[in-house]
Formats: sequence, C-alpha cells, structure tokens
Amino acid sequence: MAAALQFRNLTLGYDRHPAVHHLTGTVAAGALLAVIGPNGAGKSTLLKGIVGVLRPLDGAIEHAQVKKEDIAYLPQIAEIDRSFPITVYDLVAMGLWRRAGLFGGISRRQRDEIEKAISAVGLEGFEGRTIGTLSGGQMQRALFARLLLQDAHLILLDEPFTSLDAKTISDLLDLIHRWHGERRTILIVLHDLDLARAQFPETLLLARQAVAWGRTQDVLTAENLLKARQMCEAFDRHAEICETDAA
Amino acid sequence: MYDFLISPFVEFEFMRRALVGAFALALGGAPVGVFLMLRRMSLTGDAMAHAILPGAAVGFLVSGLDLFAMTVGGIVAGFTVALGAGLVARLTELKEDASLAAFYLISLALGVLIVSLKGSNIDLLHVLFGSVLALDDATLVLIAAIATISLLTLAILWRPLVLECVDPNFLRSVSGAGAPTHLAFLALMVLNLVGAFHGLGTLLAVGLMMLPAAAARFWARDLTAMIVIAVAVAVVSGVVGLLVSYHLGAAAGPAIILVAGVLYAVSLVLGPVGGLRRHLVPGRHLEA
Amino acid sequence: MSIRRTIFVLCAAIASALPSVAQAQEKLPVVATFSILSDFVKNIGGDRVSVTTLVGPNGDIHVYQPSPADAKKLANARIVFVNGFKLEGWMDRLVKASGTKASVIVATKGIKPREMADDDDAKGGQAHEHAGVDPHAWQSIANARVYVANIRDALVAADPGGKETYEKNTADYLAKLAAVETEVKDGIAKIPAARRRIITTHDAFGYFGAAYGFEFIAPQGVSTETEASAQDVAKIIRQIRAQKIPAVFLENVSDPRLVQRIADETGAKIGGTIYSDALSAEGGPASTYIDMMRHNIRQLAAALTS
Repeated sequence: MAAALQFRNLTLGYDRHPAVHHLTGTVAAGALLAVIGPNGAGKSTLLKGIVGVLRPLDGAIEHAQVKKEDIAYLPQIAEIDRSFPITVYDLVAMGLWRRAGLFGGISRRQRDEIEKAISAVGLEGFEGRTIGTLSGGQMQRALFARLLLQDAHLILLDEPFTSLDAKTISDLLDLIHRWHGERRTILIVLHDLDLARAQFPETLLLARQAVAWGRTQDVLTAENLLKARQMCEAFDRHAEICETDAA
Repeated sequence: MYDFLISPFVEFEFMRRALVGAFALALGGAPVGVFLMLRRMSLTGDAMAHAILPGAAVGFLVSGLDLFAMTVGGIVAGFTVALGAGLVARLTELKEDASLAAFYLISLALGVLIVSLKGSNIDLLHVLFGSVLALDDATLVLIAAIATISLLTLAILWRPLVLECVDPNFLRSVSGAGAPTHLAFLALMVLNLVGAFHGLGTLLAVGLMMLPAAAARFWARDLTAMIVIAVAVAVVSGVVGLLVSYHLGAAAGPAIILVAGVLYAVSLVLGPVGGLRRHLVPGRHLEA
Repeated sequence: MSIRRTIFVLCAAIASALPSVAQAQEKLPVVATFSILSDFVKNIGGDRVSVTTLVGPNGDIHVYQPSPADAKKLANARIVFVNGFKLEGWMDRLVKASGTKASVIVATKGIKPREMADDDDAKGGQAHEHAGVDPHAWQSIANARVYVANIRDALVAADPGGKETYEKNTADYLAKLAAVETEVKDGIAKIPAARRRIITTHDAFGYFGAAYGFEFIAPQGVSTETEASAQDVAKIIRQIRAQKIPAVFLENVSDPRLVQRIADETGAKIGGTIYSDALSAEGGPASTYIDMMRHNIRQLAAALTS
C-alpha cells in the first residue's frame, strides 16, 4: 500500500526538549492507527507536527500525496470561543471551507450535506442552537460533523472520546469505521487500552520514542506497556545535547 | 409633534448633516463594534484615540494646523499601532490586549514628545477631533466612504472573520487566510476610528461603535441579528441624541452617547438574551 | 610729572569706562508669560534686556501646561512679567516650584477689569480659570499704555542704570501706539454703525469692543474648551440671520470647522483670522502687538465695509 505519512528520524518538542524523539516509520494509506502512550509521551505533539503547527526540531515528516488542506484535525482541547453567537449549523458548515472557500455560495447539495452530517452525529434538532448552549458531548459531536464535511483523506483525532458517554462513543466509532471503509487514513490518540484492542487494528505505542508499532495485539503486550511506563515524564533540566543519530 | 421631531432638521442644514454623519457612522461603525466586542477588544477604541497622537504630531510639524495632514498622520500612526500589536499577538506569547497596551502607550509618549519639541503647546488632540455639528462636505464624504468600505469589507471577509473569532486554530489548519483577515479587520477598525475622530470626536466615534454593540448582545443570539440591532440602536441614538441636544441644549456628542447609554441600560435589564431579566423575573420552567 | 599725570588720567578714564563696558555685556534676564507681553517688554527694554517667553506665538495660554524647562527659565530671571486677571492660573505654582528670586510684576496693575460676558446658563466657557474677570485687557490700546508704564517702572527698578534708555524707548513706543490707535479708530469709523458686530469663536475682545464701540458676539459653546450643543448652534444661526450680522471671524487657535459651518449656513462672510491671545509667528501678519492691532482692524474693516 502507498504510504500516507513517513517519519524520518523525527524529533518534535518544546524549547529544545524532545517530546517525540527520533521517530521513524510509515503510516500506510488507509490505515486505522491508534496512538497510545502514557501522559507526556508525545502523542498530541506528534499530531501537531503532522498538521504543521509544530516544526520538527530534527528529522522530517513527509506527507506523500496528502496536501495540507486534505488533513482534518480534531485537537484535544478545541480552543473554540463558546460565547460567540453562531449556531451549530454554521459551525458544522465551516467544514465546507475547502470547497466553498472565501466567497463561494453554499449550494442546495451542500446544504443537504450539512444536514446529513448533523444527523449522522445524532444532532438533529440542534441546527439552530448557539454553540454556547451545547454540552461537552454535543459539542464534540458537532465537531465530528464538521470533520465529516471536510471530506479529508488524513484524519487526526486527539483523544476524541474524553468525557463522552457510551452511546456517543459508540456512534462516533461507527463514523470512524465508515471513514476507514472509505479508505481514509486515520490516526487516533487514545487512553482506553480495551477500546484500542477492540476497535483498532494497528497501534503505535509511544513513550517519546516508539516502543512498538504494528498490529495491536502484538503491540499492547504487558512487556511493552511496562517499558512505556518507565519513560520519564518530565523534561530533564540538565539534559545535554543529543548526539544519537537515527534510531 | 412635527415641530418637535422634524422641524429642527428641516430648518437647519447643520442638523441634516449631523444626522447623515451619525447615520453613516452607525452603518459602518456598529458592525465593526460588534466584532470588537465579541473579540474582547472593546477598549481598543480609547487606546487608539491616544495612539494616533504621534502621527497627528508629525502632520502638525510638517504642515501646521492642517486637519488633512494631521488626519493622514493619525491614520498612519493608527495602522502602525494596530497592525504592530496584531502581529506581535499572533507571533508571540503576548495576547492582544497586552500587545495593544504596549504599543499605544509607547505611541502616546512619542506623540507628546514630538509635540513638545515644536515648542507650541497646542492641544493637538483637541484640535484634531471634530464635532458632529460641524460636518463640511469633505468630512461627510470621508465618513460615508469609510462606512461603504467597512460594509463591503465585512461582507467579503465575513466567513474568515467569523471563523477567526470562533476557532482560529481550525482556520489556520485549513487556510492561510487567518492572518490577513485579522490584519484587515484591524485596519478597518483604525479607519473607522480615525475617520470618526476627525469628523465627530472621540467620544462619539468610540461610543457609537461600542454601546450599540453591547446593547445588541442582550437581544440577539445570532451574529447577523446582533449586527442589525446594533446598527438600529446606533441610528436611534443619533436621531434622539441630536433632538435632545437641540431641544435641551446639551452638548451634541455626549447627548447622543447618553441616549445610547440609556438604550444599553434598558437592554441590560429587559433584554431576553443573557441579561438581568433572568435574575429578576425567572419565569416558570418548560415541560421539555 | 606730566607723564605720571597722563597715565593717571588715562587710568581714571579707563576705570570710569569699565562699569559701562561691564554693563553693556550683561543683559537683564526677564521672563514674560506670553508673546504679547514679551513684545511689550522687548520694545521697552530694548538691548538692555534678554526676554524669554513661556507661551510662544500661536500658543494657547488658556490651556498651557508648564514644563520643567519653564521652571528653569524662571529661576534664571530677575523679573517675571505676568498678565494677571487670572489669565495664568498655573503661574503661582510654577513660581514656587522654580524657587526663583525674581520679582513678579503684574502688568495689568491699575487697569480696571471687565466682567466676562454673561453666560446664558452659566455653563461651560469657564474652562478659563478666571471665572468672571476678562483677562484680555491688552486688546484696548489705552490699557496697553498702562502695561507699558508698569513694565517701564519694573525695569527701571531692577536696572536703574538704564533709566534713560527705558524712558526713551517708552516714549517712542507710546508714539507708535498712538499712531495705531488712530488707525483703529479710523477703521471703525469707516464701518457703518449697523455693521459693527461680528461673531467670533473666543470671547477675547471685550476690552476692544468697549473701547472702540464694537460688538463681538462669542456664542456660548463655540470655543476651544467646550463642546457645542445643537441648541447653541441653532441660536447663533438664528441670531445671525435675524440681526444680519455680516461676518464670522476665526480665532487663531481653534478648529475652524464649526465656524465655517455656521458661516455657510447663514451666508455670513468668513473674515480672515484675527488674533486674540497670541502673536503670529515671525514673518506672520501679527508678529508684534502693533502689527496685531493693525492686522485685526484691517481684517474687520475689509469684511464689514464691502
């Protein structure tokens, strides 16, 4: 299969301290990859690097065939201004940016798409509600609807299920699987090991460095998990310059 | 009734001009004011009133008490401060409010210094700021042009502007339009403020931008409705304020702003959305 | 013998000349608060004084805010000339702050003050800190003579050696004042009595009006300090129309737009600029007091006799 992403000796971090250290590997196109690791393991950092918000301290990320506009990213804490007076409909409609652009009108067909997306996430009836009135779960659903409309080929989800109830999680998982069926590449950061084992065929176990990467049942072994837990969480204030080359 | 409401405008040309000026400011400035309020930049107007001083001072040094030169200088200074503050906020950890405060304070100090260099102690700002009762043709055209530019720009930049306010990270991830939109909005704000200062004075300019926006907050849940209501409040304030100034002898600018203030207070108490009414009159809850 | 005597006489001659040589080098340092006052002082003091002005040409003395540099100027001066009549509200503090040992001379001493024009509703206008008293006494040339006399007396007291010079300068100047006074009176005479009234933005010409029979209408609110109300502007316009006031004059320190608006709407003529509180810059039409009075009457005449 063609590669959607390639990490070459990638190091990402803050203030010269690495959060992702010497990562090398390939994400195949159409993959459904869970990214697992302890707190501070660099999972969110990795996603930010892929989106382009963070520049690598070393190494590179290659986006083969995937242009920037073709990436959809759902951050862990969406810095959305909840007090701004827009409706769920308008928020979801933002997903059409790529197609409608600055001035493009929204066609009849696109309106249908918006409505379909809203009901696909179970938010019918909420179109006219302002986003300030939504609960956490409802907000997350709305953001998923927006993602739907973005129609992107690379989808990055950072802990999308935190604080959601079981029904919502189940609905959103259906959506994710639908995307997977449509041959989109999906990376999802998770904390729930059982969920990973049950739903996701491929896993990257990250503890700053890649501990294991491959089929979920091979990766999420007791031995690997122990290794990952032993990673030190805090940045070392007295760290020296890293002399290691490609891992 | 006719005598009270209509005849002042029929009898005096300066009243008609004042009405047109206030109307144009309402059309162009109120929408900008709504966005400023939603972006938590409500105090920017006052900051800008001081920030434009060095520009006006340089204009004064070059051409003396020439209003045109000073206004142009003011606009240049305003742009520099607004855009500089905007860029710093985008590129560094410093947030918009601190960035703007830093810039405008430096600008103000520079302006005072420049004025004192010339030796004359003219209160430049006092001279620079006009009065709604003294609108000559050039000033009217200026205000009307700024209103037109504002409305057009807002119409064009509507989507990225809203997105930039609500979810700037999302905008950044799908498009590069975030920064230019933000800067264009700041430029629009400066244009409205300086043009209005020149024609109408600071109080009126900032007041008619921000008070109607604040009032509209309590009536609308939707952005478009909010803007329409803000414009309406601004227009009503202008008309009623001028009439109050005419019949009661109150200074024109303050009269208009006080009317706007009354409308704001009424909205605060009676407005259905997010005002005090919830606390005062809770009402019985619904079935579902 | 004769050589010794010659030398002795020579030395005596040199010795007697020394004081005047010394004096010629050293000018009397004085400070005047604003340009009109300093013009008087320069004319009376001539070369014997070195005059520093606080509020220069085109400056607005009503809203002036003194700086530390001004305190320094005061500290170095031997005489400080102020107008009085509460024109310089900030002066007392500045004098104290500077610690100057100069004598403070009030130039209007002996002049009978006028009351400021009655405000209809006693509002605004009094951002001047001289509520009640009109400080613009210099606008009447008769008063100017008193200014000049007070200045001469002060200079003589501080520098008795220059008494002759000062008195001669004063006499010369008084002659010039007399000449310009004739011009002013002639100028007024040429204007038909019914047209001897104008609108001006600053209520600064009370003394002129009283001395020469002229009406200056400074409408409430139409000034640098206060903001106008629609009612005020409407009143002025009605008044101009009703009384057929022929001209509106702009003062040299305010925003001309409101006056322009009133003139446009009433068909009144916009006269040129007349100078009230400050002289124009060097090379301008009113760079000395005499030029100022001459300029003002010519502007008035030009606007009202056509």
